[in-house]
Amino acid sequence: MRKPIIPTAAKISQYGIHPDLLTKRMAEYPEMTSVMVKELFPDAPEVIYPSAAGDGLDLIKKAAIAALQNVDMSMIKPGHSVNVLASHHGFTLLGGQPYATFLKVVRDEIESKTGATDIRLRAGNGLRFRETEEYIKQYGLNVHFKGKARCIAPIDEGIPIKTEIGTLYGLKSVYDADWIVHAHNSDVREVHFHRHVDRAVKPFGMSYARIETRSTYHQNLGPRGANFTARSIFESEFVKSKFAFTAFLDMAPSGVVGVVAANDLFELNDYLTFVGLNYYGKIMTLLGEIDECIVGLDFPCPVPYVFAAGVIYANMVGANVDLFDLDGDLPPYTWYTEAFYGKNGKPLIDDIAPVNPAVKMVIHNYAWGGYPSAFFSEQIPTIVVKKEQAELFDNDPQNLEYTKHAVISESLDNAMQFAYKTANTDKVLIFDGAIGGLNLSHSLLQLLQAKAPAVSKRVDEELMPKWLRQRGISPLGVKRQ
Amino acid sequence: MKLISVKPSISADKCIGCGICSKVCPAATIAIKDKKAIVDEEFCRGCGACEQRCPVYAIAMVKLEKPYTVAVNVEDVPYEKIKELCKTAHMHPEQIICYCTATRAEEVAAAVLTGAKTPEEISRRTGIRMGCKVECIQPILRILKAAGIDPERPDGYQWYGITPTLWDISPEIKEKYKTSGFYFDEDIKILEKVIKAKGSRGDR
Repeated sequence: MRKPIIPTAAKISQYGIHPDLLTKRMAEYPEMTSVMVKELFPDAPEVIYPSAAGDGLDLIKKAAIAALQNVDMSMIKPGHSVNVLASHHGFTLLGGQPYATFLKVVRDEIESKTGATDIRLRAGNGLRFRETEEYIKQYGLNVHFKGKARCIAPIDEGIPIKTEIGTLYGLKSVYDADWIVHAHNSDVREVHFHRHVDRAVKPFGMSYARIETRSTYHQNLGPRGANFTARSIFESEFVKSKFAFTAFLDMAPSGVVGVVAANDLFELNDYLTFVGLNYYGKIMTLLGEIDECIVGLDFPCPVPYVFAAGVIYANMVGANVDLFDLDGDLPPYTWYTEAFYGKNGKPLIDDIAPVNPAVKMVIHNYAWGGYPSAFFSEQIPTIVVKKEQAELFDNDPQNLEYTKHAVISESLDNAMQFAYKTANTDKVLIFDGAIGGLNLSHSLLQLLQAKAPAVSKRVDEELMPKWLRQRGISPLGVKRQ
Repeated sequence: MKLISVKPSISADKCIGCGICSKVCPAATIAIKDKKAIVDEEFCRGCGACEQRCPVYAIAMVKLEKPYTVAVNVEDVPYEKIKELCKTAHMHPEQIICYCTATRAEEVAAAVLTGAKTPEEISRRTGIRMGCKVECIQPILRILKAAGIDPERPDGYQWYGITPTLWDISPEIKEKYKTSGFYFDEDIKILEKVIKAKGSRGDR
């Protein structure tokens, strides 16, 4: 039996408990094993990080330099200012170093190729307004950007942007340079929200946007029309006049595939949509084949964003439906879905699928606050390990109801024993950011190994053609990066 | 309804009077006097926006000795009026419009129908916008607009303006992007279905 992969380490953060309080990880149990994505799906792409030789960060540097050779930066002149735009999610991928390394190379290549020196980092946040401030410090980004790295939050000063659907609002500090460079990553992340439509464009509607725009996305435009928020901002004359180029850390469930860059964001968007569906379609479909399991949350991130094999827990909550299939109106979890549960606790309409019934119980061993998560504990039996973690949530303005729906356990051992007895299954899936694969129980491994070949065939022959057709993408028309 | 369990504590020694806390407070409860921030504790709803954006870490959120709740009682307003206002705003009365506090459209509509005229007043009365501070500004502005109220923008960055909804997307835009994965008409259909849905009161 393969040993578990070492989980992503706990981090010191104001949004989580102190790492010293995390005395045991779920992967430490003797019944746990692991599987690499490549073992489940032999056609999974080759990755440069992690690297068997341990030189993955160097490979990322080289890939970024190579990708940026093909980008036109001639619009940036010496003396011009440039804002490199980043998002907090990148720092939770594979421990955070790959994204931090990528951002440093982007900065250095701009300076080296253009002679411009006023290059700033503007790192966006989700609902934890100092999160990227922590990453900037942790990865030495302020030093690398010569004191010009800034954490930006959606309640900061705004700027109106005229779009073809009306006025939306960006963050003033995002656009306070002569040029902007969009430096992101391609993991599918919250596919339940964006449904993998315009993934590469989405940060313009979220990470770089004011509250009015984010609220438009999540409340005004519908579960599938929402992504137009980002496209309308990006296509505005104002943003187009500032946009220099984009670069992406190209992600797969097994690790970093490479770096891609382009002057045309939509060209890159089509490519990333194609490979994103291809890379993540199989593992997401496979997770949907799980019949029953106990889920472990054990990662330095808010509840919905904890990872297993490149997939976040929120997507496991919706894995009973095909989240990539745009014919489905509402996934089992989005804020639109959550909004449509009435006061009696039942959905207002019968079109709402229940959350994934395969998830019998959740053990919250380690996860952060800073994202409204009460829906998860309300819908799925949840055990929070240790009172300190419960108190963290009880004092989080976004999670005042979270532990009302959960039970608190004094230790992980007690929680595991209770879960095994009550959930009546020995299948365990751990969302702990294990790199290149996932940690799980031996019983669940056997199920996944049995199901993977048929899933692979179905995605190749049936689902991929449908997903691409729904997004207007022809595989023949996608320009390889 | 929201439980208020924490309040900001400002260190006068550290405060530089920059005013950012007052510019980001969704309930507009912070003023700068003599180059120091002062919180109006009667109306502070403990969201922590000030603590999260203070550039010099002069603010800490501390537990209240006696937590309390704020809420507008929906029963104080004829429900037909609430339903009508929500329908004009394209919402179901029981629709949640703040995910952190689970505030439903009916409570915000009741706040407006009992006299609240700005997002700040609505926040003070219901506690909405006091969780993530990000996602619920547009439904509030939509309900105010449906009531015929055009609130004056407060000082600072609290909010800038109302933005388009699905019902504002023009036929030309729908046609232009119809093959790109944007399902506007289908989404209108599902949202209309929600608006017309039977609520827990049993009425449509």
